[in-house]
Amino acid sequence: MITLLKNGKLYDPAHNKNGVVEDIFIRDSQIVAKPNISEKISQTYDINGKIVMAGAIDMHSHIGGGKVNIARMLLPEYRESIRYSEPEAHICKPGCTHGSTNHATPNTSETGFRYIEMGYTAAFEPAILPINARQAHLEMADTPMIDKGGYAMLGNDDYFLRLLASKADQKVINNYVAWTLHATQAIGIKVVNPGGISAFKFNQRRLNLDENNAHYQVTPRDILKSLSRAVQELGIAKPLHVHCNNLGTAGNFQTTLDTMAASEGIPIHLTHIQFHSYGCDGDKKFSSAAAQIAQALNSNKHITADVGQILFGQTVTASGDSMMQHLNAKYANPKKSVIMDIECDAGCGVVPFKYTDKNYVNALQWAIGLELFLSVDDPWRIFLTTDHPNGAPFTSYPHLIRLLMDKSFRNEAFAKLNLDAQAMSNLPSLTREYSLYEIAIMTRAGPARLIGLNDRGHLGIGAGADITVYTDQADREAMFAKPEYVFKDGELVVKNGKVTKVVWGATHVTKPAFDIGVENNLKRYFDTFHTIQMENFKISNDEMEDIGNGKLIKHG
Amino acid sequence: MPNKLPLFLSSTLHDALDFTKPHLTTCPACGLLCDDIVVADIAMANVANDKIEPIKNVLANGCAKGIGFFNQPTVEFSPQINGKSVELTAAIAHAAHLVKTSQTPLFAGLSTDIHGFRAIYKLSQKTNASFQHINNQSIARNMTVLQSTGWHNTTLTEVKNRADVIICFGDVATHHPRFFERFINCDGMFVKAEDRQVIIFSDVAEKTAFNNDATRLKQFDKSLNTPLILPCSADDLPSVTIALRALVTGKFLKVSQIAGIKVSDLQIIANKLNAATYAVLTWVAKDFDFNHAQLSIQNITETVAKLNLTTRAAGLPLGSSDGDTSVNNAITWLRGTALNNSTINSELIEHDLMIWVNSFSTENLPPKTHKPMIVLGNSTIKIKCDVFIPVATPGLDCTGTLFRVDSAVILPLKKVRDNNLPTLSKVMLEIEKLL
Repeated sequence: MITLLKNGKLYDPAHNKNGVVEDIFIRDSQIVAKPNISEKISQTYDINGKIVMAGAIDMHSHIGGGKVNIARMLLPEYRESIRYSEPEAHICKPGCTHGSTNHATPNTSETGFRYIEMGYTAAFEPAILPINARQAHLEMADTPMIDKGGYAMLGNDDYFLRLLASKADQKVINNYVAWTLHATQAIGIKVVNPGGISAFKFNQRRLNLDENNAHYQVTPRDILKSLSRAVQELGIAKPLHVHCNNLGTAGNFQTTLDTMAASEGIPIHLTHIQFHSYGCDGDKKFSSAAAQIAQALNSNKHITADVGQILFGQTVTASGDSMMQHLNAKYANPKKSVIMDIECDAGCGVVPFKYTDKNYVNALQWAIGLELFLSVDDPWRIFLTTDHPNGAPFTSYPHLIRLLMDKSFRNEAFAKLNLDAQAMSNLPSLTREYSLYEIAIMTRAGPARLIGLNDRGHLGIGAGADITVYTDQADREAMFAKPEYVFKDGELVVKNGKVTKVVWGATHVTKPAFDIGVENNLKRYFDTFHTIQMENFKISNDEMEDIGNGKLIKHG
Repeated sequence: MPNKLPLFLSSTLHDALDFTKPHLTTCPACGLLCDDIVVADIAMANVANDKIEPIKNVLANGCAKGIGFFNQPTVEFSPQINGKSVELTAAIAHAAHLVKTSQTPLFAGLSTDIHGFRAIYKLSQKTNASFQHINNQSIARNMTVLQSTGWHNTTLTEVKNRADVIICFGDVATHHPRFFERFINCDGMFVKAEDRQVIIFSDVAEKTAFNNDATRLKQFDKSLNTPLILPCSADDLPSVTIALRALVTGKFLKVSQIAGIKVSDLQIIANKLNAATYAVLTWVAKDFDFNHAQLSIQNITETVAKLNLTTRAAGLPLGSSDGDTSVNNAITWLRGTALNNSTINSELIEHDLMIWVNSFSTENLPPKTHKPMIVLGNSTIKIKCDVFIPVATPGLDCTGTLFRVDSAVILPLKKVRDNNLPTLSKVMLEIEKLL
């Protein structure tokens, strides 16, 4: 069966196509070359004048696993505004809970529906605690419509820290990292507040890049070096995903700059960098350091970053960073939080936040994120995220895209900010407006290339037919909120911004080769210190198929 | 004392296909989900009908609850309509008819694993159903605290490796027979068993394995490895928890005794908490069976919050079982809200049809209802109802997936015996097809 998308305007940065008018042919789930004249075209969509991009990919969004579910449990009040009548009423029966909501803690169905309705066809959970990976995959298995995958958290687990403290050979570390990817069915490795989550369990309250974890006598710098090298030497496409030390604190930009320097040329990805770009100048001892961070990103070509933009409104922050979230809990709104120490593996902190444009710090956080977007030159190395739900729910992406593409819209919003914050930001002087081509890079081609999804994020022959078709509108928020068509693996699943067919996406994983001998030591560790069998820690491919609704796709 | 695994058992334990050979399995009889249980079938003559039937023998690491779970007899599978044996298809058709004609069905019991609940939820989407778990009251007590102030909690591996002062409110050992063996009376990475201090507030001191009494408080500092049991009834938990919270906060109490416990003794405990490297305060919400129990639980979680301003401490809710942690988590991601239904009272939710699900135990029977009732459960349940469909018990008759009591660890369950019982998921799917 062949489907033809006729005369669309293609924005396909992987093939340098910037608004080129071309036909796209889909056979089954793939984009194919123009078929022979003898082959029958089953269906034709005339999309003359419409904008065509690959399905968008959210490379950092907390969509599955313990802390997201804790956030849902913590905040029943968010559910009160649900309207049950739309828009999935055409798919589900009355009483079904797929409400139309923009809130921060969607259930798994809403997560899938809201993403696909915006033309997103994949999202990656960036903080899978290895011990909790089974829950993350169960939740993602119940998330319809989109592809998914996750990054496994290492660097605060006692097994790794013991290896590092005993000066284990890098090969031993590499084997453990690869084993973890297999065991947790992940596609990347993340480190959160390197060493800090562990240090908090020993009652340390802050940890700087060159400060020792009191028990292990290793520094965040040691941890970063070891893990980034492991990821590189194992040939994992996705660079080490780094949530720096000192999240959210005034003056933390220096830690971020030092972390960049500590990478020593090995690729790393700095996540939600907005939360790590704070100076401590001015009367309120809180200022923007976006210029310094952007400059460093511009000159360090081996480093990528996603922004973690905040947008105003009620949300909830869910992070693995128990150390910093414990400090942040005093700002909770509503006033409640969950902090956890978890299984000598990691931790988590869930703290509700309400960002307002009249609050000096919040207003400046908003400006800092946009300053970063507009000051980093290369759209291939900066990614559009709100660190869902930490900066804002992912459903606010269309609004964020308009802020980037529309200078006057941005300036109007800026003029409403807290006046002291306005005085501390150079945002109005940044006149850049993102183009459609650049948006396609930072939401499609860039994330696919970064994660190593060779057949996603582009519209070339052989690509998976995840395709979004927009009607060109001057109001970019309206345009990106409601695509005309979305195709998932070649099937039409969204029409006029509404889901027309429920499908189940795949889970993307990577499985680098490693020496299984690593299990001898691990087994001893599990038997001595852990409270489950090593065999039960591992999630097999068969189990993934049993718990899942979609297939498993291996990369690299 | 902990049972050591027999030496002859090798790592092939994990892949036993032959049930007569010893193999490792996971026990869902309580929320600890011990996955070091070694079981094997032994052939036993069944006197009643002269048949040779296999009986599950727990070779290592079984507790009374676990042995009871694995030794459950297999009863011949027979679905029933109004007490009369029928074919499975007929029972399913009648169940579907009842669900279809119901305006307000109630899924009650809900004792199942993740896969079972997913199937229930999927079917429920075609109805106007409510949910009420067997443990809805203890779930609600904890959820109300979580949703009011939150908490700072820990998990079992952290307890084993870090906890140097452990306080238990409620009878942990009755709910989790191997809690002390597996997590306290053993050396951890950062603490030795002999250096741990355990204090238990419970009114069932005489039932516990620990031979102890309050007079030993004087020697408390010298006898660190001996758990100190302070008699404390459920009625006394509100005053004891608030007193301890006040003392930890540094407040002075004008009385000399609280619920029969000397305030000076409580002060010693408060001091120990403040001096601990990693204090763990556990509670069993099921044992907090009194009005406004959530406020007493909150005393414990806020004591932890206070301690964490300067030192390290964490809470740990214990006592869950019957799949409650699993079902609560699954409904939370599927629906977006937890299972507490924003109510703590014990009344049955209004319904015109009850679908009682109890896959694990034979002990919990459905509450009284005058409405039609479908029972899906353990094959040995004997109950009068409109439709009875025996289903496989996860961890015994079929595989499964459960959350551990600490809500952080999720473990696969194994099938350890052969029979023809259908899984709950399969039955739910078949009913759903007929709606």
